[in-house]
Amino acid sequence: MSFLAPMALLLAGAIAVPLVLHLLRRKTGEAVEFPALRYLLRAQREFSRTLKLRNMLLMLLRIAAVLALAFAAARPVGRMVGGGHPPTALALVLDNSLSTSAVVNGESVLARLKNAARDALARASAGDRAWLVTADGRVVGGDMNAIRDAVDRIEPFGGAGDIAGAIARAAQLVQSSGIPARQLAILTDGQASTWSEVAALDGISVTVFAPAVAPPRNRAVVRAVPEPPHWTPRGVIRATTSATDSVTFRVMLGGKATARGTAAPGAEVSVRLQPTERGWIAGSVELEPDEMRGDDTRWFAAHIGAAPAVVADPGAGAFARTAIDALVQEGRVTRGSDVVIAGAEAARRPAVLFAPSDPVQLGAANRALQRAGVPWRFGSARIGPAPVRGSGLDGVSALRWYAIEAVPGSADAAVDTLARAGGDAWAVAGDGYVLVASPLTPEGTDLPIRAAWVPWLGAAISDRLGGDAGAVTEAAPGTVVARPSWSRELEWPDGTMHAVTDARMRAPTRPGVYFWRRGTARGGALVVNAEVAESDLARATVASMQARLAGSDVAVFGDAGSWTPSVFAVTGRRALEGTLLIVALGCLAAEAFVTRAVPEGTEETD
Amino acid sequence: MTDPRTNRPDLMDPALVAGLGSIELVARRIVDGFMQGLHRSPRKGFSVEFAEHRQYQPGDDLRFIDWKVLARSDRWMMKLNTEDTNLRATIVLDVSKSMHWTGAPGRLTKAAYAERLAATIALILLRQRDAVGLIRFDDQVRSVIPPRSRSVHWHRIVKALDDPGAGLASDAPGGLMRAASMVGRAGMVLLISDLLMDPVEVADTLKGLASAGHHLTVLHIMDPAERDLAVGAIEAEFKDPESGQKLAATVADVREAYRTAVVESVDEWRQHLSGAAASHEVVLTDHPFGMPLRRAFMNRQILP
Repeated sequence: MSFLAPMALLLAGAIAVPLVLHLLRRKTGEAVEFPALRYLLRAQREFSRTLKLRNMLLMLLRIAAVLALAFAAARPVGRMVGGGHPPTALALVLDNSLSTSAVVNGESVLARLKNAARDALARASAGDRAWLVTADGRVVGGDMNAIRDAVDRIEPFGGAGDIAGAIARAAQLVQSSGIPARQLAILTDGQASTWSEVAALDGISVTVFAPAVAPPRNRAVVRAVPEPPHWTPRGVIRATTSATDSVTFRVMLGGKATARGTAAPGAEVSVRLQPTERGWIAGSVELEPDEMRGDDTRWFAAHIGAAPAVVADPGAGAFARTAIDALVQEGRVTRGSDVVIAGAEAARRPAVLFAPSDPVQLGAANRALQRAGVPWRFGSARIGPAPVRGSGLDGVSALRWYAIEAVPGSADAAVDTLARAGGDAWAVAGDGYVLVASPLTPEGTDLPIRAAWVPWLGAAISDRLGGDAGAVTEAAPGTVVARPSWSRELEWPDGTMHAVTDARMRAPTRPGVYFWRRGTARGGALVVNAEVAESDLARATVASMQARLAGSDVAVFGDAGSWTPSVFAVTGRRALEGTLLIVALGCLAAEAFVTRAVPEGTEETD
Repeated sequence: MTDPRTNRPDLMDPALVAGLGSIELVARRIVDGFMQGLHRSPRKGFSVEFAEHRQYQPGDDLRFIDWKVLARSDRWMMKLNTEDTNLRATIVLDVSKSMHWTGAPGRLTKAAYAERLAATIALILLRQRDAVGLIRFDDQVRSVIPPRSRSVHWHRIVKALDDPGAGLASDAPGGLMRAASMVGRAGMVLLISDLLMDPVEVADTLKGLASAGHHLTVLHIMDPAERDLAVGAIEAEFKDPESGQKLAATVADVREAYRTAVVESVDEWRQHLSGAAASHEVVLTDHPFGMPLRRAFMNRQILP
């Protein structure tokens, strides 16, 4: 038994009143001269046993009444046979992640969970406190009607949400309630990927409802990536689907279907596109609808611009000229002088700069870098070979290079390192430049004789030197993202503008492409897609769920009819003050009866 | 129409009647009212009528020889008159300390009630030409007024009622024995007491008196508060004014048992006194004086 107001137990000290009165009753009261004392003595003598028993009974009844009242005031909660439940702090954790939107047997899992939640709330009594915590991080408290309304309004979330965080938040709520009887009622589809974190729930009763229904076969687009991010204007969409058989797909770009095809299970498909639109544009790869619609579409954003005009400095060598010819042939660049490929001694911007092939020119190269505003300098020479680690540079080795060192005070030196060799930065990039630590000669690096040379150069030109196109931010619904420093406004898919003031913000809960606004134009994109794991509807086992709910009192039910009675059934305890008040009243009634009762053997005197 | 009962002091509240004046005055009014209620003249039946004859014996007063019988039958017979058979009554009054108690401020004490009752009885008897005496006792005999039938004798009795008393015990046997010694021939002994004493000893004494031919009447004076334990306190320490003995009790707890004890005690007295051929009447001090008077005299059929 426990008490909600233990200080009230001090009232139990009042039992001293009837006790002391009983013990001292022969010494209390006024003195009365009474000649017929012999009758009183006779009464005491003849009925002393009855009187003693009666007085003892009266004392016990009075003490019992005081104790019952004191205990009732302390609001005891304990086990007792009978219905009802003690005042309980109940947190309903309702998993409304994307996976719960799956339709099974004509009804979504979320609808089943909501029905079960309503049934559970119907069992609440006046002394209970309840909260609703959803996977998308929303918390609703207050009276039961408000919570029921909130349950009715719950919609499937666009992503996985944070069910572990919701459970932790719910645990905090019930633990801070001050109510001894605490319970978490978790309603979830039991998706295996959901239960990846262990929640510490000591001292809290946990009852889980995970509908025991077989998950549907789900098809999903798990990857849709534009390559390169900046199309000039051609680009490729690489997509991967998750399905047990071949699926048809279509590629939407700017709201128009631009490609259709069939994808084999798990295979990557590539769709080459050369759209006529320019600037930032939203696209998606879509499948035919299935039982879970939320992952049938995956969004991407691409920047489509004109091909940059490139020229090779005469000192850059034959490899540079050959590569430009190849890129021109592919249409990825045009001939012109917007971007130059040159040795560092001829540094300017925008340019792809290589280390000087002659060490004598190292000083001139550093001075040229300084004049061009490039925050890097060539340092001591390094002799390889050393493998180059960087995107698109697999198999490339550095044979001779210089350690390139950031100019003190340069903030973006580390961020823009594209590749490393022998522990040194080997290729770095910045505003209008890509700087390579090796000379563009076979003695410096085998890059120009590798197959990766032309694609790497093309990507470097389009991605780094094709103009300030901005960046793409990938996020899951509701996750925290950093706002670009240059943007104060986000354009939603419906075209509405939303001011963004915080440096860090939560991504919109609805999947889609949102554009960062730079002035009056789009300056980048925020692509919101559900987590890939959310498309895997495999169920966790009961043991797995219990293992991840690290509590001493965890019960998992697959049937709502069995689960509902477990809610508010916190160790079978309930409030006892009502019972104690009845006991107190009974004692007082008995005391009144005994007080008025005529001892056996007496009769009225005429 | 006014109820004639309201004008009769013997039927009025004793405390109210007592407020009319002295014991003497109050007793006269009570007697007048009482006699009025009987609808009989107090003089009727009172005369020196012939009662019986007996054989003359030497030494007899020659004045009482029935000369007519002597003339007709030549026998010497003595003529006895009713005057010679008048009652000789002795009132034995308990004036111990327990009698000087009342359970309510506006109520007569048992002693005050008993004194007025004694004075009234004495006056009635004297008006019948009966001889009346008075013995007052507490732990000892306080006053002794031998029985006399003269009307002025009543003033002696009334005066004796004012004598001090209120001793710490009740020696009823002593008072009764003294009464027996005073009444030379069979008469009436009237004990007025609250009977807060040992009944066995009193009954034994009364048996002796009964064997001597006395008519015995006991008026058991009781305050209503003594019957019902009707005291104002809830918790009280009760003290016997005579013995000083104390007893703490919760009135509500013991009231019923007390009432039972009173009933049983009264029954015991009744049994003991009936064994002594004595009539016993409980007289509550809030009852009009007429009630005990009627009971006291009706039992013996000695009313005029």
